[in-house]
Amino acid sequence: MRIIVCVKQVPATTEVKIDPINNTLIRDGLEAIMNPYDAHALEEGLRIASRLGGKVTTLSMGVPGVKEMLLDSLAVGAEEAVLLTDRKFAGADTLATSYALAAGIARIGDFGLIICGKQATDGDTAHVGPSIAEKLGIPHVTYVQKIEEITEDSLTCIRLTDDGTETVWVQLPAVITVVKTINTPRLPSISGLRKAQNAQVMAWGAADVSVDEEDIGIKGSATWVIKTFIPSFLTECKMLEGSAQGQARALVSELEQRGGIPW
Amino acid sequence: MIRMSSEYQDYLRDESRSTGHAEHIAFPVCEDDVREALGQAAGCRVTVQGARTGLAAGAVPRGGLILNLNKMNKILGLRYDDEKQCFLLRVQPGVLLSQVRRALHDLSFDISNWDEDAKTALSLLRKSGLWFFSPDPTETSATIGGMVACNASGARSFHYGPTRDYVEALRVVFSDTSVADLRRGREMVSSGQFSFQTDSGSIVSGTLPSLPLPQVKNASGYYLQEDMDLLDLFIGSEGTLGVITEVEIRLQPLPASIWGVTVFLPGTGEALGFVQDLRTELSPVAIELFDHRALQLLREQGHAGNLEDDHHTAVYAEFHGNAKEEVRNMVFRSGEIAVRHGAREERTWVATNYHDLERLYLFRHATPETVNSLIDRRRQRDPGITKLGTDMAVPDDELVAIVDLYNRGIKAEGLEAVMFGHIGDNHIHVNILPRSMDDYVRGRQLYHDWAREVIARGGTVSAEHGVGKMKVAMLRDMVGPKGVQMMRDVKRIFDPSGVLCMGNVFDEDVTVGEIS
Ligand SMILES: Cc1cc2nc3c(=O)[nH]c(=O)nc-3n(C[C@H](O)[C@H](O)[C@H](O)COP(=O)(O)OP(=O)(O)OC[C@H]3O[C@@H](n4cnc5c(N)ncnc54)[C@H](O)[C@@H]3O)c2cc1C
Ligand SMILES: Cc1cc2nc3c(=O)[nH]c(=O)nc-3n(C[C@H](O)[C@H](O)[C@H](O)COP(=O)(O)OP(=O)(O)OC[C@H]3O[C@@H](n4cnc5c(N)ncnc54)[C@H](O)[C@@H]3O)c2cc1C
Repeated sequence: MRIIVCVKQVPATTEVKIDPINNTLIRDGLEAIMNPYDAHALEEGLRIASRLGGKVTTLSMGVPGVKEMLLDSLAVGAEEAVLLTDRKFAGADTLATSYALAAGIARIGDFGLIICGKQATDGDTAHVGPSIAEKLGIPHVTYVQKIEEITEDSLTCIRLTDDGTETVWVQLPAVITVVKTINTPRLPSISGLRKAQNAQVMAWGAADVSVDEEDIGIKGSATWVIKTFIPSFLTECKMLEGSAQGQARALVSELEQRGGIPW
Repeated sequence: MIRMSSEYQDYLRDESRSTGHAEHIAFPVCEDDVREALGQAAGCRVTVQGARTGLAAGAVPRGGLILNLNKMNKILGLRYDDEKQCFLLRVQPGVLLSQVRRALHDLSFDISNWDEDAKTALSLLRKSGLWFFSPDPTETSATIGGMVACNASGARSFHYGPTRDYVEALRVVFSDTSVADLRRGREMVSSGQFSFQTDSGSIVSGTLPSLPLPQVKNASGYYLQEDMDLLDLFIGSEGTLGVITEVEIRLQPLPASIWGVTVFLPGTGEALGFVQDLRTELSPVAIELFDHRALQLLREQGHAGNLEDDHHTAVYAEFHGNAKEEVRNMVFRSGEIAVRHGAREERTWVATNYHDLERLYLFRHATPETVNSLIDRRRQRDPGITKLGTDMAVPDDELVAIVDLYNRGIKAEGLEAVMFGHIGDNHIHVNILPRSMDDYVRGRQLYHDWAREVIARGGTVSAEHGVGKMKVAMLRDMVGPKGVQMMRDVKRIFDPSGVLCMGNVFDEDVTVGEIS
């Protein structure tokens, strides 16, 4: 089975810093790494490929420098890597990104499974995985934390939900997006790095995949950033004093006042 | 000063897991507070505390006042030294190592109390790439004051040296509340003679003896050389001579490329062979060991990560350089050396970026953490036992013999134990994990036997954690009764009433400072 893993390059920090003047993400000076969730996606792909037989292709859209990250994916065991890179892709929002990625996937062709991270640590929307599935007209399962069983035609997996888990059976080809608990990603080995040193990343421009140029990059984006800011989660702490009963009563009345009691 | 109550129970212990007692505790926020507390405590015992991550009970009080410096946690300023061509950061002693790292990584400091010069230096720093403070004890919640007081080191000290090498200036408050401002290269000890002026203008002078230093990484007892910086005496003095209230630390440019590699060797002999070749053929900044028992413990306690069942012994090496190609080449060559010793290149773990390095560091930290939580669980059943953790280093040519000695001892006594740590410096932590009081007693005996062997081979009983209260007897064996007497005499010069950090480094003088 051919497994395609979508990998995005992100700044190496979990704390996104925002420029206070123009409200844009500060990306300078930060090392760029593979989106941490995508490392888990890649690991799962490699495990499935070694279990079922098959190969993993990594796919990314980004600037030419993203080639380095894709070489790293070859070092851990992906067999081929594709970079969608073209000025025309620049400025894409999630709609345009998933359209372009879906076109890249179509050109790679002959896939059984597409794995994405749950979300990217910079954009954070978690749109792209499901959106690719829609573009390709195939099913998707998000927040996968375990693959129970997989064959050439279908897979059974456990996905996280707000209040528990669901076991889902899905026909392949499909897109899944994975959470971090699914596995521990391997690090590259010296022999992997030696191999990657001489390997090639395929670079495709807009003309190499069949896309309508009106639908990619900034032109194809339905959203624009007006303002980026860190949401404030203000919490206050109030100490209740007195006897246990008194405190319990005071707590109930506080909760009532704040609408915290559903009855 | 606050009267001790159950609320402050935690301050009676440190990571050695031993517990002491005290009557009062104070949390100074500035040097004047320290002086005031020492003034009020006049004649009583005073134990200085940083973050209490120490492993030798140095911060465990023996009565009197606890002087806890956690609230002296401000980064005070920055300057660029033209002569040394480096940035120097001035901090209060309670600043955490993690705080320094974060600030330097993010280039973000609380500058509300900085002067103009410091702010100018910060603008320069922001234009000068990334800088770092190299001492790297695995526990990053240690304070800078605690690190200086113990001369802490870490994996990278193999190449960069211990904390001592990065201290440019100290302010020290003595038990009589006078203050010394000491700067490297300024207050010198010459043929044992020293002299300096305190803040009040009085001149303190005297003669220091000299103690031969073991030719290994060392944190045992006072640093006493005929000719030296006076400042070096206070580094590693474990709170017994004065309270460090300010430290200026030296920063270095962060190498552009840092890679780490973990290699798995099929046995102990192969691992030792690999380490020896690695340090002669290449220039790693760190070489760390995880023996087969440590890997097994990680598997048993559910921290195996991607460890495979047949991984026997692991060795971690780190390489720094200014070009990626250079560092990659060193990692590749380390692979070739490892293959000569029976490893397989496809079964190595390489970190080529900061994010992946963090993963290898977490794996390294997992060993002592796992040991500590295991011991905590055993202590609930058997409160008498503690971990028996060694911290001894030997010269290069004794490495094979000492590892063999450790392995034979553990086997002969049938003890549970793990070995890990700074093998590049022949500085391996053996942690004996007693399952019962009987194990504990035999383990202690074994540890003491090892210490005598280490001393006989020109090694040290503490290479980085300090002597504290746990290794007093071993230090006595190492420096002899005369050596201990010399150190006592030195203490008397700076702390005549003998109240500071009683019981650290040498036995306490029982007549001193008992609270009435
Ligand atoms: C409101 C908004 C406005 C933006 N505006 C701009 C802009 O003007 N210019 C600009 O350059 N960027 C912009 N971005 C960033 C960029 O377009 C998005 O990051 C990108 O579309 C992916 O979305 P995400 O980061 O939320 O990924 P998510 O949907 O959270 O990612 C989920 C998964 O999809 C896959 N994936 C996502 N992106 C890629 C990729 N590029 N290559 C391969 N796989 C991928 C990965 O597997 C990832 O784990 C913007 C983002 C947002 C949220
Ligand atoms: C999991 C773990 C891993 C560790 N790994 C390492 C390692 O790799 N390398 C290493 O060197 N250590 C290591 N340590 C030990 C410990 O982190 C160091 O000894 C550290 O330097 C102690 O700093 P602290 O602030 O916690 O000091 P404390 O434990 O509070 O005090 C240590 C000693 O310093 C004295 N002291 C503290 N502050 C001052 C001051 N301002 N003035 C005068 N005296 C003072 C105290 O009196 C005491 O004697 C480790 C500890 C743990 C728990």
